[in-house]
Amino acid sequence: MLNMQNVTKIFRTDLVETRALSDFNLHVKEGEFVTVTGPSGSGKTTFLNIAGLLESFDDGVYDLDGQNVRHLNDTQRSRLRNEKIGFIFQSFNLIPDLDLFDNVDVPLRYRGFNSSERKRRIERCLELVGLANRMKHLPAQLSGGQQQRVAIARALAGEPRFLLADEPTGNLDSKMAHSVMQLLKDINDEGTTIVMVTHDPSLAREAKRNIFVKDGKVSDVTHITASTPEQVASISASGACHV
Amino acid sequence: MLPFSSWEIGPIFRAMTRNKVGAVLIALQVAVTMCIIVNSVHILMERTEQMARDSGIDEANSFYLSSTGFADDFNDQVVIQTDLDAIRALPGVIDAMQINAIPISGGGWSMGLQTQPGAEFEGVGTAVYMVDDHVLNTLDLELIAGEAFQPSDIRWRERSQRDWPAEIIITRALTENLFPEQSYQDTVGKTLYINDDEPVIIKGIIDKLQAPWVGWERLENAMLSPEQTLFSSSMYFVRTEPGRLDELMPAVEQMLADSNKGRVVRGLRSMQETRERTYRRDQAMIKILTTVMITLTLVTALGIVGLASFNVNRRRKQIGTRRALGASQASVLRYFMLENFLISSIGVILGAVLTVGLNIYLVQSLGLTKLHWWLIPVGMLTLWLVGQLAVLGPARRATATSPAIATRTV
Repeated sequence: MLNMQNVTKIFRTDLVETRALSDFNLHVKEGEFVTVTGPSGSGKTTFLNIAGLLESFDDGVYDLDGQNVRHLNDTQRSRLRNEKIGFIFQSFNLIPDLDLFDNVDVPLRYRGFNSSERKRRIERCLELVGLANRMKHLPAQLSGGQQQRVAIARALAGEPRFLLADEPTGNLDSKMAHSVMQLLKDINDEGTTIVMVTHDPSLAREAKRNIFVKDGKVSDVTHITASTPEQVASISASGACHV
Repeated sequence: MLPFSSWEIGPIFRAMTRNKVGAVLIALQVAVTMCIIVNSVHILMERTEQMARDSGIDEANSFYLSSTGFADDFNDQVVIQTDLDAIRALPGVIDAMQINAIPISGGGWSMGLQTQPGAEFEGVGTAVYMVDDHVLNTLDLELIAGEAFQPSDIRWRERSQRDWPAEIIITRALTENLFPEQSYQDTVGKTLYINDDEPVIIKGIIDKLQAPWVGWERLENAMLSPEQTLFSSSMYFVRTEPGRLDELMPAVEQMLADSNKGRVVRGLRSMQETRERTYRRDQAMIKILTTVMITLTLVTALGIVGLASFNVNRRRKQIGTRRALGASQASVLRYFMLENFLISSIGVILGAVLTVGLNIYLVQSLGLTKLHWWLIPVGMLTLWLVGQLAVLGPARRATATSPAIATRTV
C-alpha cells in the first residue's frame, strides 16, 4: 500500500539545512493500522505530509498503491490525494462557514461526482459517524468529538484506501478520544489502511503496529500483540525498520 | 475540467450568507459604481454626440471678425461693400459675406415662423441669419431645393427696421417642423408668416445649418434672410481655401485695419476656436466624469483586491485543508474567482436597478435622455470583468498555499 525507501527531506534556509527525514524506510501493507510515535521534532509530521502527498521530498522512493509519486505534478498529486487518501487532522480542519453536509461534500466535489452520488455518500458517512441528524448544523454548534467525527466522515466519503490521521484525538478528552479511536478501528476492520501519528502510547498500542521515529528515521518497529500498557512499554527498541 | 455540478457555487453562496458583511459592502460598492459609471457613460455619449453634430458649414476653413466704425464720416454701407470686395479679392479666400450672427457661437437672433397668419397661431422658432447672395459659397451650404439668392434679392436693413424681405431660404429641418406632412421639395414657394401676419415666401431649402445656440432643442431650425445690416458693428465671415486659414486671419484683420482708420477691427476668431469655446463646459464635464469613472472603478477594484486578500490570508489554513482534500491549484483559483463572480453578480443586478432609477431621476429632473438599454449589460459585463481581474492576483496567491499547512497546528 505504502512503500518508502530511503526517503530524505531537507528543509533549507539561507543559513541552515535541516534533515527532517533521513533515509526513511517504511512499508505499510493493505489493511494495516499503523501508529507513528516519536518525540517532538522527530519528523512524524514531515513523514505524514510526505505520505499524504502534502509535501515533496528530496531523495528516495515512495510508492503509493504501486505508483511512484516522486515526479507527479501538482494536479496529479491533488487527484491522487483526493482519490486514495483520507485525512483526519488534529484540529479537525472543518470549514466554519459550511454546514456538516457541505463540509463532507468538499472532497467529493473535487472528485467530480454528480450531486445525487455526493448526497448518497454524505448521508451514508454522516450516518456512519452518528451525525446524520445534524447535517445542517455548523461545526461551531458541535462538540470537539462530534467535529472530529465529521472530519472522519469527510475523510471516508471518497472511500479512500488509505487513511492518514494526525493526532486525531489530540484535542479531545479521554472519553471522546476513546470513541473516535473505536471508530477508526471499526473503519480499519472494514479494510481501510490507517496510518496514525500520535503522542499517546495508550492509543499507539491499539494499532496493529507502531513505528517509533527519532531524528528523522524509523528507529523502532513494534508488532502489537500485547494488550496492556505495561506490555506495550516493555517492548524494546530494535533499530529495525522493515516489516 | 470538473463538471459544472462540481463547482462550488452553492457552498460558496451559503458560506457568504453566513459571513456577509464584507461581501455585502463590496456588492454595494459594485452596484453604486455601476450606477454612476453607466449613467456617466450615457451622459458622455450624449455630450459627445452633441459635440459631434455637424453645424453645416466649413468650420475648418472659416473665420470671422467685426468692424465698428467710430469716425463721423464713417459710411457703413460703403465700407461694408469695399471691405467685402477687398476680402474676396485676396488670394486664398474662397468667399466672404456680412452676417448678423455666427452659428454655434452662443449669440444670435430668433423669430417665429407660422404657416397661417394670426396671433392665435403658434409659430415655430428659428434662428435668423441676415446674409447676402454669397451665403451658400461662404458657409459651404448645400441648396437641396428651390433657388439661391440673387444680388437683386439683397436689401439693406436699418437697426430700427421691422419689416422682412419677401423671400427667404430655410433649412430642411425647419421646413419639416413647419410642414410635417409634406416632403421638403413641395414646400418651396409656400408662404410663411413672420411677426404673426407678415408673409414671406420660401425661395429655397438648404440641407443643414445650425443655430447659434447649441443647447437649443431645435438647433437645426434656421432661416436665411437676404439683407445686409447697417448696425453699429458689422461682422464679416470669411471662408478660405484649405490650409490658408492661419495665414489669412491676421492678413484680413491687418488689411481692414489699414484700409480705414475710422473704425476698430476686433473679434478675430476661427470657427474651430468658436466650437472649442462653445463646447468648453462639455469638454470639462467629459474630463471630470471620466476621472470620476476611472477613480470609482479603481476604488472598487482595490476594494475587491482588499477583500480577496483578506479572505486569502484569513482562510490560509482552510485553503491548505482544501488542497489536502484534493483541490488542485486550478480548483482554488476557481473558488476565489467564483466567489467574486457571485459577489459581483449581486452587485451588478442591484446596480442595474440603481442605474435605471438614477436615469429616471435624471430624465425627470434634468431633462436627460433615456438610457440606451444596451449600456446596462455592457456595464454589468465591465464590472464583472473588473471584479475578475481584481481578484486574480489574490486568487493566484491562494493557489500557492501549500497543502502541508493543513497539518500545522498554529
